[in-house]
Amino acid sequence: MSTFKKCCAGLRGLASPLLLVAAWEAASRQDASHAYAFASLASIGAGLRELSGSGELWLSALASLQRTCLGLLYGASLGTLLGAGMALSPLAARLVGPLFHSLRQVPILGLIPLLALWFGSGEGTKVLIVALAAFYPMALNAVEGFSQVDPRYREVGRLFGLGPWQHCWHVLLPSALPSLFNGLLHALAFAWVSSVGCELFLSTGVGLGNMMMNAEAGARMDIIVIGVLCIGLLGYAMNLLFSRLSQRLLRWRPLRR
Amino acid sequence: MTAIAPPIPPLALDTPGALSIRGLNKHYPIDGRRLPVLQHIDLQVQPGEFIAIVGASGCGKSTLLRLIAGLETDYEGQMQLDGKPIRGPSLDRGMVFQDHRLFPWKTVFDNIALALKHSRLDKAHVAARVNEHIALVGLQGFEHAYPHQLSGGMAQRAAIARALITQPKLLLLDEPFGALDALTRVRMQQELQRLWIQQRSTMIMVTHDVEEALYLGDRVIVLEPRPGRIRHVIEVGLAHPRERNAARLQSLRQEILGQLLSQAGH
Ligand SMILES: Nc1ncnc2c1ncn2[C@@H]1O[C@H](COP(=O)(O)OP(=O)(O)O)[C@@H](O)[C@H]1O
Ligand SMILES: [Mg+2]
Repeated sequence: MSTFKKCCAGLRGLASPLLLVAAWEAASRQDASHAYAFASLASIGAGLRELSGSGELWLSALASLQRTCLGLLYGASLGTLLGAGMALSPLAARLVGPLFHSLRQVPILGLIPLLALWFGSGEGTKVLIVALAAFYPMALNAVEGFSQVDPRYREVGRLFGLGPWQHCWHVLLPSALPSLFNGLLHALAFAWVSSVGCELFLSTGVGLGNMMMNAEAGARMDIIVIGVLCIGLLGYAMNLLFSRLSQRLLRWRPLRR
Repeated sequence: MTAIAPPIPPLALDTPGALSIRGLNKHYPIDGRRLPVLQHIDLQVQPGEFIAIVGASGCGKSTLLRLIAGLETDYEGQMQLDGKPIRGPSLDRGMVFQDHRLFPWKTVFDNIALALKHSRLDKAHVAARVNEHIALVGLQGFEHAYPHQLSGGMAQRAAIARALITQPKLLLLDEPFGALDALTRVRMQQELQRLWIQQRSTMIMVTHDVEEALYLGDRVIVLEPRPGRIRHVIEVGLAHPRERNAARLQSLRQEILGQLLSQAGH
């Protein structure tokens, strides 16, 4: 009974995508112009076989993913450090706060032409863009997490004579962890979007965005659809992975009902 | 002085844990003015003695314990533990708060082990000590539970184990059982008494429960509010463990309640 219910619940999640696919296929069968705008399922399937056979799909996805991970690593680490610094040291908050808060108002996309001018349009610049995209949400959440450390727990640390590093590791970091994971999930989403997005602006190189740009030039609607699906699915998978990780590391929190 | 009767092994004269407080004053700045919270506190605590402090809420009981613990360092007067002035927190003074203050992100085991972070003990010795103290407070089987999985009484036991594991000369308890139900509280009082007899460290406990103060304390100190002053010191003078409804405890209870109520009157 309960497994049956679970199956039903699982199938419910599939209902809306399946409806969408059906509507899509119906649209593609209406007339010639529709058939172009909505590539038929058959042509998408053929395109998928072609792309995976040539390896282009894997190479593109890998390039975009790799850039996301690298940028996320840099951006999230620096964001955490800066956020912790601003939260824990009033001096740091005064020194870098105003600069930080005005720069974060500028959309990353608006910075791309400038960054391309300074650093060229190679992979390094793209990683920098991804890192910037991950940096801001991470830093903001780190500030929040580290400034909300309960003074009662700090006192316990003082009672047991913890040194500065022990204090960071045993008291501050775990206190901030829920906010840090919140920031990380946001940073991941921004990193992934900007990893693919910056390929549309800096068109040399490899990646899912480039694959779609080339498909557009060659009027291959099927490949564009495959690109969109890939980006969506990979983003979803990474989000799921990070959510699981956060649940595991935050298992000490009481379950909220 | 205090009647220390048979069950407690006699203490050597130089047993550490003697607290001396002379002319202690404490102010808090409020709206730019200095509000007196404690005034002219004089208190000499013998090694191994159990002191209970009662008083109306807001009369400075927690402040007094926090001063002794070294969490508040801004005061006038003298405070010495075994002749050494108190200038900040130290491992020779342990503290148990009303809210157990276990770190929610650590298991019972890791919470207790944290108190040994300063020590140069290796992992195996830490584990042995921690397990010994977990057994001491009867929490076997809950080593790997997180605080939110414990009942109030169990969390408080873990907090007591954490405070005892550094073998402090002086253990400070700020209404440790205040949030517990009546039955659990009685059981915890017995446990604490057993630990005290076993450990022989000096203990100072703040409580709002006069019966608890009389059941556990060698001396009961009654504080008077605004500003906090010592109004009365009562020598209980009965051996431990005590009969809860001993006639002397009953009459002392009436006396203390009368004092507390007369304060509230004016
Ligand atoms: N950090 C603080 N700043 C200002 N006033 C405080 C502070 N802590 C306590 N007080 C005041 O000192 C008085 C005594 O507080 P406390 O020691 O907590 O009382 P008790 O534990 O006896 O209830 C109270 O009036 C309280 O408002
Ligand atoms: Mg209090």
